[in-house]
Amino acid sequence: MAHFPKYMTTVLCIPRYQKQLPYVMTSVYSQIARSEKQTEEFRVLELVKKSAQRSARRKAKKIELLPPRTNVMPVDQDWSSVWPGPRSFHPASVPLPLRQGYNKKGVSPGKFANAELMKIPNFLHLTPPAIKKHCEALKKFCTPWPEELNDENCEKHFPVEVITSDYCFSSPDIREPMARIVILKVKLSALTLDKHAKDKLLRLVGERYDPSTDILTLTTDRCPLKKQNYEYALYLLTALYHESQKTEPWESEKTVADMEYYDWEQNVSYKNVLGTLNWPQSVKDTENFKLTPEMEEYKKAISDLMNKGEDLYTISKYKEATKKLLNLPEFLPLEYTTA
Amino acid sequence: MLTRYKFLLTVTRNNYFLRQLSLESPNVFAKPESRCRTVEDNPLNHNLEHEGRFYVVPPAVCNQLFRFGGIPKGYEVQAKTFDETCLMIRKPALEVINMMKVADYSRPIVKYVLFGERGAGKSLTLAHILHYALNSGHLIIHVPWVPDWMKKCKDHTRSETREGFRDTPLDSAAWLAHFKTQNQHLLSQTDLTVTSNYTWSKREETRSGSPLVELVDLGINRIKYASNIIVALASEVKALSSSGRCKTLVAIDGFNCFYNKRTMIKDENWKIVPPFQLTVTEAFINLVNYNWTNGSVVLTADRLVWSGNERGESDLPLYQLGKEAFELLDPFIPVHVPCYSEKEFHSCMDYYMERSWIQNENGNTEEGRSELMYLSTMNPYQLMKICGPL
Repeated sequence: MAHFPKYMTTVLCIPRYQKQLPYVMTSVYSQIARSEKQTEEFRVLELVKKSAQRSARRKAKKIELLPPRTNVMPVDQDWSSVWPGPRSFHPASVPLPLRQGYNKKGVSPGKFANAELMKIPNFLHLTPPAIKKHCEALKKFCTPWPEELNDENCEKHFPVEVITSDYCFSSPDIREPMARIVILKVKLSALTLDKHAKDKLLRLVGERYDPSTDILTLTTDRCPLKKQNYEYALYLLTALYHESQKTEPWESEKTVADMEYYDWEQNVSYKNVLGTLNWPQSVKDTENFKLTPEMEEYKKAISDLMNKGEDLYTISKYKEATKKLLNLPEFLPLEYTTA
Repeated sequence: MLTRYKFLLTVTRNNYFLRQLSLESPNVFAKPESRCRTVEDNPLNHNLEHEGRFYVVPPAVCNQLFRFGGIPKGYEVQAKTFDETCLMIRKPALEVINMMKVADYSRPIVKYVLFGERGAGKSLTLAHILHYALNSGHLIIHVPWVPDWMKKCKDHTRSETREGFRDTPLDSAAWLAHFKTQNQHLLSQTDLTVTSNYTWSKREETRSGSPLVELVDLGINRIKYASNIIVALASEVKALSSSGRCKTLVAIDGFNCFYNKRTMIKDENWKIVPPFQLTVTEAFINLVNYNWTNGSVVLTADRLVWSGNERGESDLPLYQLGKEAFELLDPFIPVHVPCYSEKEFHSCMDYYMERSWIQNENGNTEEGRSELMYLSTMNPYQLMKICGPL
C-alpha cells in the first residue's frame, strides 16, 4: 500500500466508487507494473491507441444452412407432392430461376430472400397435372354426362341459364356479399312472342338484350340472399313475358312521329314509291300491296338509311336501290360513290 | 344591285337582248386537243373518255344559259380572265347526263340530287347538265341560287290572291327574264301554248291557247303579277311536258333553302316570313312533285344555304334536305360530287399552266403540285383560291 499514489487513496475512500473497485484496482496495478518497467526509459504518452492494441471485433456467428433442396431435385419428380397446397413462395423448394422486383443499378433481385415473390399469390399447387389428379380422384363420385344432352338439346330443354358464384376463402366471416348475385340468361327465341310482344319486351328490357346473340340477361342483386335473388329473377322473367303479351288501349293511338324506328310501309316514302310506280293510276289498296324484289331492296335501303343513320355507304345503297326501282342503268361502279 | 335589275328589266322590255344566237355556228374559240382539254364541246357526245378534261362552253351558249347567273361568282371572274368559259367534264355530270339519256320519259320524272362538300363543284356540274339540256332540246327551268330570293330579296309585297303569302315581284320578273333568255329558241315555237285561262285583272288575262311566251312577257312587263305567273308557268310547263309537247329539265341550285325556317324578309308587322309563305316557293315545290312526265329534276343540296353554323355537320343529302324535303323528293337519286381525283387535279393544273395562270416557277414542279394538292385538299374551289395569287 505504500506505493499507492496519494490520489488513489482518496478515490478509494469515496464510498460512491466502491462498486467500481475491481476495475480501479486493475488499472492501478497496471500502472504500477508499467512504472516499474520504465524505470530506465521515459514513458511514452499514447494519445491514440495503436490498432493492434484494439480489442478484436466480435465475429458474427455463422449460421449453418443446408443447401437449397432444388439442387437435389430430380427432373422427373412429382411436383404435386413437393407443392401439395397453397403456400407462400419458398425459394429453396421451387426449382425455377425466378426474379422479381426492381433494382435501380442492375438486374432484378433473384428468388432468395425476395419479399416481393412471397407477397404475391401463387398457383404452384394448381398445375395442370395436379388438377388432373384432383379430377381423377373426384371421378368416382360423379355420374357420366347423358349422351343425348348435347348443346342443341341442352338449349332446347334448358333454355334458362342461371349463373351464381360461390366464394371460398379464409376470414372470420364466411359470407361473401358477391355470392348473392344471380345472373339469368335466356334466348329470346325460346319464348313464344309475336311481333308486338317482342317489340314491347325489347323496349321493357332495354340494354339487357343483346341482338347479336339474341340473349336476354337479367342480373338480380337487390335481395340479401342468393335464393331470394334467384326467385326474383324468375319473377322478373315471368312478369316481363306476360306484360309484353298485353296490348294497352292507348297503344293504338301511336302515330308515325311516335315510332322509334323507321317503318317504311307507314311513311310517305311508301306512298311516293307506289304512286311513282303505278302512275298514272293511283293505288287505293296500299295495305295488301305485293312488294316486288326491287321494292324489297329499296325498302331495306331506305330503312337502313333512316335507322342506322346517313353515311356514304347507306346513301350509295339507297342510290343503287332507287336506280333499280326506277329501272335506270348502272353507269359507274359502286366504289366510285363510296370513295 | 337594284340598278342592275332595273337595267335588266329595261333591256327585257326592249327585247334588246333577244337577238338570235346561232347555236350551230362553228366554235372559233376551240383550242387544240391536249391532255387537259377536249375539242368536243357538245355535252351530248361527252363520255368517260373525256372525263377529267376541260371543254369550252361556246360564248353564245354561255350568253344564253348563264347570262343571269348559273356559274358561281368566283368561277365567272376566272372565266372572264381566261377569256373563255371552260367546264371540266366530271363523273357526276356524266352520270346524270347518261341517266337522263336513257330514262323512260313516259314515266314520272326522275329526280337527281347533287350533294358534296362546299366548293366541290355542284353548281358547275349543274351548269354542265344545263348545257346538255340545251343541246338536247329540253325546256329549261333553272334557278341559279335559291338563297338569293330569301336573303337578298329586292322587293316584296303582300299577295293579293293568296292569304298570308308574299310576292317577290322584282326577283320573280328577273327570273322570268332568265327563263325567257334560256329558252328563247323553244319559246318561239308555236306549239307551246297555255292550256288554261288565267285572269290577272279586269283587263289583263291569258286565254288558253295563247303562246307561253305571252305569259312570260306579261310577267316581265307587269311585275305585279310576276310571282303568280311563275306559279302558273310551273303548272303550265308540267301540263305541256306531260302532254309530250316539250321535254323539261328543272334545275334548282340550293333547293334545300326552300325548307329553311326563315328568310331575311319581314312583313309589315316585322315578323319573319318563312320560305313556304313565298309564292315562288309553291311553284318550284310543285315542279319537283312526281305527278308529271317527260321531265327530269336536278337539284343541289348545299350547306351554304343555311346561315351560320346551322346544319354544318354533314353534306349528306338527308341531313341537308331535312325529313320534309326528303319525303317530298323520295325516291330520288343522290349523286355525290366529290373533290378532285388525282387525274382531275393534274388536269386542272395543266389547264392553269396552259392559260399561264401560275407564274411561280415552282408551280409546275412535282413538289409544287403536291404542295398545292395538300394545301387545297383537292377541293376545286380551294385550289382556285390558292392558285389565284401564284
